[in-house]
Amino acid sequence: MGGNAVMTFVAFCIDHQKDIFNCLVRHFQLVGISVAAGMLIAIPLGIFLSRFKHFALAVLRLAGMVQTIPGLVMLGFALLLFGIGLPPALFVLSIYAILPILQNTYTGITEVEKSYIEAAKGIGMTNGQILRKIEIPLALSSIVGGIRTSVVFTVSWATLAGLIGAGGLGDLIWTGLSTYNTNYILAGAVPSAIVAIALSGLISIIQKSITPRGLKGVSV
Amino acid sequence: MRNKIKKKGIKLIAAAMILMVTALALAGCGSDNEIKIGSKDFGENIVLGEMFAQLIESNTDLKVTRKLNMGGTFVCFEALKKGDIDIYPEYTGTGLTAQLKLDVVGDPEEAYRIVSEEFDKQFGITWLTPLGLNNTYTLAVSNEVYEKYGVETYSDLAKVSGDLVFGADHEFFNRQDGFEGLVNVYGFQFKGEPKKMDISLKYQAIGNGDMDVTDIFATDGPIRQYNLKVLTDDKGFFPPYYAAPIIRNETLEKHPELKDILNQLGGMIDDATMTELNYLVDVEGQSVESVALNFLSAQGLI
Amino acid sequence: MSNLTPLIIEHLLIVLAAVAISAVIGVSLGILSYWVRPLDKIILWVAEIIQTIPTLALLAMLMILFGLGNITIIAGLVLYALMPIIRNTYIGLEAIPAHLKDAARGMGMSKPQQLIKIEIPFSLPLIFSGIKIALVNSLSIAVMGVLIGAGGLGYPIYRGIQTNSLERILSGAIPVVLMAMILDYLMTKMEKWMVRKSPQN
Repeated sequence: MGGNAVMTFVAFCIDHQKDIFNCLVRHFQLVGISVAAGMLIAIPLGIFLSRFKHFALAVLRLAGMVQTIPGLVMLGFALLLFGIGLPPALFVLSIYAILPILQNTYTGITEVEKSYIEAAKGIGMTNGQILRKIEIPLALSSIVGGIRTSVVFTVSWATLAGLIGAGGLGDLIWTGLSTYNTNYILAGAVPSAIVAIALSGLISIIQKSITPRGLKGVSV
Repeated sequence: MRNKIKKKGIKLIAAAMILMVTALALAGCGSDNEIKIGSKDFGENIVLGEMFAQLIESNTDLKVTRKLNMGGTFVCFEALKKGDIDIYPEYTGTGLTAQLKLDVVGDPEEAYRIVSEEFDKQFGITWLTPLGLNNTYTLAVSNEVYEKYGVETYSDLAKVSGDLVFGADHEFFNRQDGFEGLVNVYGFQFKGEPKKMDISLKYQAIGNGDMDVTDIFATDGPIRQYNLKVLTDDKGFFPPYYAAPIIRNETLEKHPELKDILNQLGGMIDDATMTELNYLVDVEGQSVESVALNFLSAQGLI
Repeated sequence: MSNLTPLIIEHLLIVLAAVAISAVIGVSLGILSYWVRPLDKIILWVAEIIQTIPTLALLAMLMILFGLGNITIIAGLVLYALMPIIRNTYIGLEAIPAHLKDAARGMGMSKPQQLIKIEIPFSLPLIFSGIKIALVNSLSIAVMGVLIGAGGLGYPIYRGIQTNSLERILSGAIPVVLMAMILDYLMTKMEKWMVRKSPQN
């Protein structure tokens, strides 16, 4: 019986391979674009906040609050603002992508030991040089950790995009849920879970490989 | 000292646990005198479900639990078969094609007879008296498309379908009387991949110009709001979809009075009335509860 | 707007039930990882993998098993809540100073005795903090229940999306966010109180 169900599912996947592949590609697009947008906004903003700490607390607290807003609610807001299709989906996903990167960039940079920066100043480095040569390299592991969380979030929330006509693996899950079709559910759920787990694993390997030797063991 | 604190901590945890387990018990189960009413995830079906609920509440002492807005046809149907719900509003055409997977039957009475017999035999489910409305599936285009191409029928649409984007709810792509069958009969070749979205968002999408053609229900409220042109199904692809409450035989045996109570609604809601009620809910944003209540009391049913 | 109170109560009950179950399972697994060394990596790894699975995907798969309704969302919340609870239990137990463990062993305590008399009381604030994280996250995730036929505050939110109504969306969203903030505030206070009363101080 269980074996039979697996066979049916495999046959279904072969039958619908083009659909599944298209949804997978669209899912990667959703995640890729929103994480890229998140990085472009969050990394500079995080650096900026590390220079103006009195803003930082308020901004980070706000970011934390935004993060507690359920995904479905964000989707609703975006829908009211932008209507149906890709733009609202990308908007929501980018917001979810920004928050972890912002937090980790800020923490990463502010946790760089003062003595390094003093030393750098001592040998006559400019602020720009200190940022590029000391702070960013030392904070990189933390920033990459933030990117990893962002990727996991966006892979997850991108499944909701199917609800508002933006496609992706969520389309298959929605079709399955609205028609009580197990094969459709699995055809969307299994790949999205694999993508999330694989990307998360891959990025944490990258993160470990770039962690400065002296900081290994300090997890972020 | 340390002992005392430890005891305090453990007591605290124990209290929290008891609280949580009580919560679990309350969240979990129901009782024998509970009637669970379900509905699909669009305005009309929710309103009808709410009417059933109010009618039962005012005529019996049963505890009514609402599980409205559950999902698509298959979701409600599976829940009904399993006993997760006892009653929900269904449509004859849907029962015929989507659930029984039979061919389209044009005659409404014949369709009703077939679904009543087969549902009883195959699933132990009874169709009560139809409410009156025929919420048929049909296709609609935006006003711009209508003005540009002058399409009146599905066959007209087929000739220009290459220029037009089609979008619908996920369910439409996965039923016998849905997208594939329609394409086979009329030879539509729409532009690009069809767009899939939540059933209630189709109107916004066509209103924003995100798509040109969509499937609708004839009694949908927002047709008027978005000034859509409803096309004629000139080859008679879609069967009639008369709405009726469907109920588990098991529930009916336990509470036979439900039959008469719900049959009071039989023939009371025609297409125009339903369209009006849908308009109030979906376009004017009135609450489902008050729309159902106003209708029932205006009809003298509660 | 219909009355929100029953929806708020149902939402809260779903979340409390799930976190209660998850606390029992999570603390046990945390203790197991602490006792049986080779298991700790596997248990924590599995819990993290579960948390990585997209919410909708996990709920849809659970729906295949448990059908539509509150049971499915509770099962999903239990799984998502495991990670913070297991991790905090494990870290809490690991962090107990070695001299205390030695002393307990020296007094002839058995492993379960050590656990109940020394180790759990010491790690209580951290375990509690894990439960707090689980609870706050669950409040937000529980909204997704509406998509698999469960009750709670997801209903007005979903209905608001369907009918393009900001008012309806907010009527569901504001209580969720408020409850999360209030619980977070209260439990953080309790946590601080526990730390102060902790045998460690």
